[in-house]
Amino acid sequence: MGVIGYGLGVIGAGIGIGIAAYGATTSMARQPEVQGRLFTVFILGSAFVEALALIGFVVALVVS
Amino acid sequence: MSEFEQLPDAVNELVDSFVAQPIIGDEYFGFTQYTFWMAVAVVILVILLFAFKKRQAAHLVPEGRFVNAIEYLVEFARKDLVIDLLGATWRQHFPFIATVFFFILINNLIGLVPGAHPGTGTIGVTLALALMTFVYFIDVGVKKHGGWGYLKSLKPSGVPFPMDWLVWVIELFSTFLRLITLAVRLFCNMFAGHVVMGTFAILASLFIQRLAQGVTLEAITGAGISLMWILLLIIIYLVEMLVAAIQAYVFAMLTGVYVQLAEEEE
Repeated sequence: MGVIGYGLGVIGAGIGIGIAAYGATTSMARQPEVQGRLFTVFILGSAFVEALALIGFVVALVVS
Repeated sequence: MSEFEQLPDAVNELVDSFVAQPIIGDEYFGFTQYTFWMAVAVVILVILLFAFKKRQAAHLVPEGRFVNAIEYLVEFARKDLVIDLLGATWRQHFPFIATVFFFILINNLIGLVPGAHPGTGTIGVTLALALMTFVYFIDVGVKKHGGWGYLKSLKPSGVPFPMDWLVWVIELFSTFLRLITLAVRLFCNMFAGHVVMGTFAILASLFIQRLAQGVTLEAITGAGISLMWILLLIIIYLVEMLVAAIQAYVFAMLTGVYVQLAEEEE
């Protein structure tokens, strides 16, 4: 059950990182000169979203 | 596929090995394997620091890969982490933020050594780091605005009467939440990374086991699957290298952001 719950939780994080990547690529296409700065922001955003998925992973492991 | 049936037990064993085991003393005040690896990280940091200082003093211009690499890292921490965020007061906060950054970075990188249990892989150390950051930025805010002034500075200006106190309560709550999110983010990233790497290593070793019982077609298929797990393990390993650097960066940058928010004028 914990594994299924974790799988459901990852859907959210997947959507989140997808939206972040979408935003980053669109803005990079519009303004290639700010690419470096955008990449940092994108990585940071992904790190925040990813942390949520990882919390789910650890909770699933600890509870089971 | 009997290998997959052995997997849950092996993973449980792996997860159990992440529980702090005291080498000396009891589990609350003892010297655990995490303490040991954290001490290793600190020793490496100190050695790097003194080696760098010695080599740097030898020449006026930085020479050699080692000195240049360290200077690049420090310059990165100074420019990207501190100056860009804090502006004029960067000099005051650089020592703390850089210390946190390098401590977490070395600890995270040590976690990539198979069998190592770095300090950041346990909630105790990450919570202590988060507590240090928390006390630091509260201190900065209180020094800047005064105790009552800092509490009041959490209240947004330009918001009508009943709403601003509601926002103030939420802000106050989220300030304390920073403590938990900082600690849990770093811990979960490191812990999950170690578990995933360990699981792939276990899968690789489980599938190759059959080869020991004699060379049959089944055993060779198992070895092939094992090779695939090893390839996946290498990819995960590379990702974890990235994560180790990014998490150190994220932690230090959030420290910078919180300090900046604390000393910001209304």
